[in-house]
Amino acid sequence: MSQRNERPTQFELNGLTQWLIHYAAGQAPECLSSRLEEEWLADSASRSSALSRLCFAVGCYWAAIVIVYEFPRAHVTAVSPVVAARGFILLADSNSGYFSLRSATLFLIIGIHAALFCGLITTLSHTRGMWAPATLQGHMLNRIPTETEITDALSGK
Amino acid sequence: MGKKDTNVRMSLQTLRVLEVFLENPVEQLAGAEVHQRCGIASGTLYPILIRLESAGWFVSQWESIDPSSAGRPRRRLYRLTSTGLRLASEVFASFNRGVLA
Repeated sequence: MSQRNERPTQFELNGLTQWLIHYAAGQAPECLSSRLEEEWLADSASRSSALSRLCFAVGCYWAAIVIVYEFPRAHVTAVSPVVAARGFILLADSNSGYFSLRSATLFLIIGIHAALFCGLITTLSHTRGMWAPATLQGHMLNRIPTETEITDALSGK
Repeated sequence: MGKKDTNVRMSLQTLRVLEVFLENPVEQLAGAEVHQRCGIASGTLYPILIRLESAGWFVSQWESIDPSSAGRPRRRLYRLTSTGLRLASEVFASFNRGVLA
């Protein structure tokens, strides 16, 4: 009890790590789920600090997403009898894209940011009219009037 | 079943994982040990291991220990297959030729 009071954060992080690994493994294809959970729990136990284990668990969640992306459930179901018979994971590799999931996500984020900036630049920039009314147009003066002429003009003489 | 498709997309991280296994091809390594040797994060490492295993480059098996007596859970150990060893050697050979050419 006293040990728990001394370092409650570590216990909480370990609990969160185990829950995250369990959740991540649950996202993986069914034939891989239990194996990945046991494998990840064992590998996380080899980490020294609780924070390192938590980072590892977050990575496992990302790994589960990638595995699901690369190995659709249809393929896993189709080969599951072979998996059971051989005790070996035999999955069809459908990863024929040019980019990995992580790269595609990065490009998507960059594209969204670029579109957002273009939109802001387009909408917030000042627009200048191509045509101005006659009263606002400038005129060249042939001769600068003197002060007396201006005074006379203003007084109506 | 038909012949297994051994094609794998060769990223830099995949090459680094293969390099770790090629240092001692008969050695069995857990994911945590691979991480320690090449520094690849778990989010990238395990999809690579699963990908290489599904393509027949690796085989994996549970560590043959008693978790209660060992005081730790058993780990999943990966090892290069003969096919994987040959293909990985070819990849690095072609890679070196490409760099030196």
